[in-house]
Parts: sequence; structure tokens; C-alpha cells
Amino acid sequence: MAEVTLTNVRKNYNPSLLKDTLRNINLDIKDGEFIVFVGPSGCGKSTLLRMIAGLEDITDGELKIGSKVMNDVPPVDRGVGMVFQSYALYPHMDVRQNMEFGLKLKKFDKDTIEKRVNNAAQILGLEALMDRKPKALSGGQRQRVAIGRSIVQQPDVFLFDEPLSNLDAALRVKMRIEIAKLHKELNSTIIYVTHDQVEAMTLADKIVVLSPLKESAETNLEQFGTPLELYHNPTNKFVAGFIGSPKMNFLKGQLIEIGEETCKVKLNTGDVITACVDARRASVGDKVELGIRPEHLVPVEHPDSKSRLSGMVQVAEHLGAESFVYLDVDGEDFTVKAASEIPVDTGDSLEVGIPAEACYLFDSQEKAFKRTARYNRT
Amino acid sequence: MAIVQPKSIKYRILATHIVMCLFLLAVLFPLYMVVMISFREGNFATNVSDSFYDLFLPRMDSLTLDHWKLALGMSYVDEAGVEHLPPFPVLKWLWNSIIISFFTSAFIVLLSTTSAYAFARLNFKGKNALLNCMLIFQMFPSVLALVAIYALFDNIGEYIPFIGLDTRAGLILSYMGGIALHIWTIKGYFETIDASLEEAAAIDGATPWQAFRLVLLPLSVPILAVVFILAFIGTITEVPVASILLNDVDNYTLAVGSQQYLASQNKLWGDFAAAAVMSGLPITVVFMLAQRWLVGGLTAGGVKG
Repeated sequence: MAEVTLTNVRKNYNPSLLKDTLRNINLDIKDGEFIVFVGPSGCGKSTLLRMIAGLEDITDGELKIGSKVMNDVPPVDRGVGMVFQSYALYPHMDVRQNMEFGLKLKKFDKDTIEKRVNNAAQILGLEALMDRKPKALSGGQRQRVAIGRSIVQQPDVFLFDEPLSNLDAALRVKMRIEIAKLHKELNSTIIYVTHDQVEAMTLADKIVVLSPLKESAETNLEQFGTPLELYHNPTNKFVAGFIGSPKMNFLKGQLIEIGEETCKVKLNTGDVITACVDARRASVGDKVELGIRPEHLVPVEHPDSKSRLSGMVQVAEHLGAESFVYLDVDGEDFTVKAASEIPVDTGDSLEVGIPAEACYLFDSQEKAFKRTARYNRT
Repeated sequence: MAIVQPKSIKYRILATHIVMCLFLLAVLFPLYMVVMISFREGNFATNVSDSFYDLFLPRMDSLTLDHWKLALGMSYVDEAGVEHLPPFPVLKWLWNSIIISFFTSAFIVLLSTTSAYAFARLNFKGKNALLNCMLIFQMFPSVLALVAIYALFDNIGEYIPFIGLDTRAGLILSYMGGIALHIWTIKGYFETIDASLEEAAAIDGATPWQAFRLVLLPLSVPILAVVFILAFIGTITEVPVASILLNDVDNYTLAVGSQQYLASQNKLWGDFAAAAVMSGLPITVVFMLAQRWLVGGLTAGGVKG
């Protein structure tokens, strides 16, 4: 069991191009935590994981696992176990041989090997498959073997590189629950890479949001926090837009009134919205961007509805339990998630209510203003 | 397979079969002729006094094992009571061929596998330039370099006699120059194997050499078998280089030696045919042995494509 500390970590694949993949990554991962790296493709989340594993070298900065600096330590001595996106099972070995491989290389005695392999097989329910070759296994079984192969090594840190992305939807949910159970059982530090935010929100103790590095940016580590912290208090527009599904709606406007608890924003559409945001670090007249989550919008007659907004219905999707209405608000796409059916059709005009507590506000640098309330639609 | 075909497909299948049978006949006929010649009395390719049909179906009374006896190093006594001694040490040649081809192929597989690994997996300066150079150099037939090869081994022999002219080791060494294509072949195969397998092995604690030997090599057996067969066939049928590097008749390979039968004044077709058929045997044996390794799907299931 171990904590993982990254200090000012930088990665540059091709120094001659001066284009970094990762810059100024500072993370303090505690022992036993389940950490998820999320971000759009190309943000370097797999690279960061591979750097922790020792499959990529670290251009700059320091990586500590436990209390030891691991920058120049080969993968095998870092005490990490890794599960690959492609499973990476040895095709010519059966399940037992796959799991024994590492232990045999490390010259463990026969009894220890057998005990550990059988124990892992039992945890993962692989007992009946031990003498099968990988090609005779289903996707989920292969993934379990891949996990088993890292369990037997008893690593301090488990690294998962998009382990579920090759499975079908139903199996993914099942394996997700199994991984959560496994974490409870093994109680070890897990670092998990995914682009699926449902996986991130459900599995993680803490989430690391990464963005593709902009040339001028200081870092591409956008935020490191618990799932709900990221949901309710994103530090910037990128995190706000990335966490939550459907995506948060953004509308441009300017501040017209600033108070201690609330402020008023005049949108480019002309509507004035009251928001529970502390915008005192800005001044009246500043350009801002208002964010509202689709699931926080309410009917205009709802008691929470402080402000209103109208748009033209482009598409309405009725899923039975909920409805999605895609509006065109002054040329911007605007999604509404309604708890019940809304009797609208393409071309209709729809007016929605906006609770003041549900508003997010971002300055022209896309940094979030402090919110003074949280909203849960009832 | 379940595509519905028009009725005329039957006739097309029939026509295809006929064409294929004719093609097979054309391919197999020379072999049949050589086998027949090796069993026919006298050292003639054809026998003008025979009727046309005798060409293809020799009379039973003209069949003889004399040529084979000579090829196998035994003498025979003809009807006139004259004893015929084997003109050439054919079995010795065959043995030379097998030894040289076996070691050449083994070394070629060894060298090209390791270099292919370097080209497929490691990053080093000038990698692409080297690969292209190898391919281009391989395009010049070695015949162009015969004089150079001779001079080279003549010189080497003065310092290191056992790889000089007229030695098996020297010939094997000269054949090892031709591994560029094999490197390309194996490199192409290595590149189809997911690199995450070796990364997994590295995390499991394997050194690069262990990852290569325990993970990559077992998966590459089919391509290694192919390269071994190709190298073996290429070596055992090679004439130009062998004919200039080997001087002593006893050191000849079968491919070089069997031409001795066909001196311009004295063409011993019958003896030649027996030796020629015999030279095909090692290739057949190697092919049959290697066939069990030529299986597909070894890498199936390891990674999700």
C-alpha cells in the first residue's frame, strides 16, 4: 500500500518540437484512494498513467511511490500492477500460466505461487477457466484474467488504462461494480484512466480532470477533487463542461449588478438572470459566461424559477422517464432535461425557468466565480 | 459462401477444374520425366529408338536401379561384365548440402530475428535509412559480387583458414549476407504483435530479453518456420557463390556437383536425374517437419483489436 506523489511533472515526447504533452502536474494521492484520470482524447491521461507505471520516462519533475523517488526505477521495482486497455494477455499461455508468469520470473517458490494464483482466481471467479487459452475466453473473462495477473503480484498501486472500453455496455456496468468491490476488498491505491464520466463519477474517490495542453497554459491539470466537488464547484469552464451529461449550457452576457450572495447577468439575448454567485472580484459591465446544467432547468411556474429564458425547439426526445429538449437560444444550442414529458414539438417556442441557485458563472478567462449555493431539483 | 450463384456456375467450375488439371500436369511433368529418366536404362534424356509412348510410359524391362546405385555410392556390373564405379561422391555432396543449408538457415533465423526485433521495437538513429539500404542492396544479385566474394574469402582464408576458400564455414558466412529480406519479413510480423504484451511482461518483471524470448518468440514461430524454409531452399539450390567458393570436388554441394554429370562431351542424364531427385529429399523433409509450425492464429485472444 502506498501513496503516490507527483511534483511538477512534465512530459515531452519530442524535445525538438518543444511541444509538451503534460506540464506542471502536481498530485498528492493518498494510500488506498481510488483516483480516476479523465479528459478528452489527447489530453495525456494515458501518458501520465504510463509514466507512473514506468513505461514512459518522465521529462521533468518527480514521481514518488511510497516515500521513494521512482523516476529512474524500472517498472518491475515500482510495485505497480497494470491492466491494459487491450488486456495484453500472453496468447500462448493458459490463464494459470498468464497469472503465474510474473511470479515465476521473480522466482517465488511453488507454494506461494499456487496460493496467490488460486486466491486471485477465487476473488475474480476464474477457477473454472484456469486451463483455457485467452482466445477461448469472452471479453469480460479476459479482462478479469488481466486484473488477476496484476493482483497476484500484490502491487502497492494498481493502474488501470481504460480497462472497460472494449466491453459492451451491459458487461461494462457489471465489471465496473466488480472493480469497485475489488477496491473495497484489496483496499489498495488504484489509479484508473477513462474517458467515460459515468465510470469516473461512480468509481472515484477523487477525480483528476486533464485537458489537452494549450501552448500558453501553465498546466493541463484542470482540477483534482471529489466527484461532487467537481460537479458543484468546477474551477473553470472546461471542468464544468466536461463533468455532467448532457453537457452544461453556456450563454454569454455581462454583469449588471453585483451583490454579496447574488448577482445579475444580462445575457446577449436580453434576458436578465439572477445567479447565486459571489462575483465581487469582477466589476459591473465585465463580460461573463453563464452556465446552467440541463438537469437544473425547471418549468417557469416552478417555485424555484427566479429567471426565465426562451428558445425554439429543434428536437425533442421523449425517453419515458425523462425528456431532452434541444433549444436554439439566440443561435446557441441549449439543452433542457425535464423529469417528465413536455408536450412540445420541433419549431415550438419553449420557455424555461432558471433557479438562481443553479447558476454557474465564469469570467472572460473562463475561471469560475465562487458559488454561494448548491441546487438539487426536487 | 452462401451467395446465390447463377446456374452457369457449374460449367465454370468444370472449366476451372480442367484448366487447373492442365496446369498441374504442366508443373508435374518435368518432375515425372526426371524420375523416369533416373530409372531408365542408359544415360539418355529420351530414347529415339523408343516409340513416342515409351517416353511417358517406359517399358518395364528397361527399368533399372543402376543410376540410383551410382548415386548412392555403390558400383554396378553391366551385362557385358564391366564394373561401373560411382563417378562422383553424391552422398558426400548431399551431406555437404544438408550441413551447409541447415547451419545457414539456423544462423539466418537467429540473426534476422534479433535484428528484426531491434528494427521493430527499438528506436535508434538511422533506423529507416538502414532498413532502406538493406532492401536496396538486396536488389543487386549476389552474382554481381562473385569476383569480390572470391577475393574476399581468398584473403580472409590467409588469416583465418577455417572460413577461407573451400570451407563450409566460409560458404555459410557468405550466405549470411543475404538476410535483409528475412529481416523485413520478420519485422513485419513483429509489428503485428501488440507492443502492450511486452509492456505487460516488463511490469511482470521480465527483462527485455525475457520479454523477447518468453513472449514475442513463442508467438512468432510460424514466421520463423517460414524464414527457415525459405532460407533452406534458397541455400540448398544456390549455385553461383558455392561454385566459386568451393574448389575441391569432395567439398561440392549437390547443386554444384550435379552439374558435373553434364559435361559438354558427356551428358550422363540418368545419373544426373538420380542425383537431382535425391537433392529434393532434404527440402521435402524440412518442409514436412516445419509444416506443423506453420499455423495461424497463435496471437489470437491476447489483445482486443
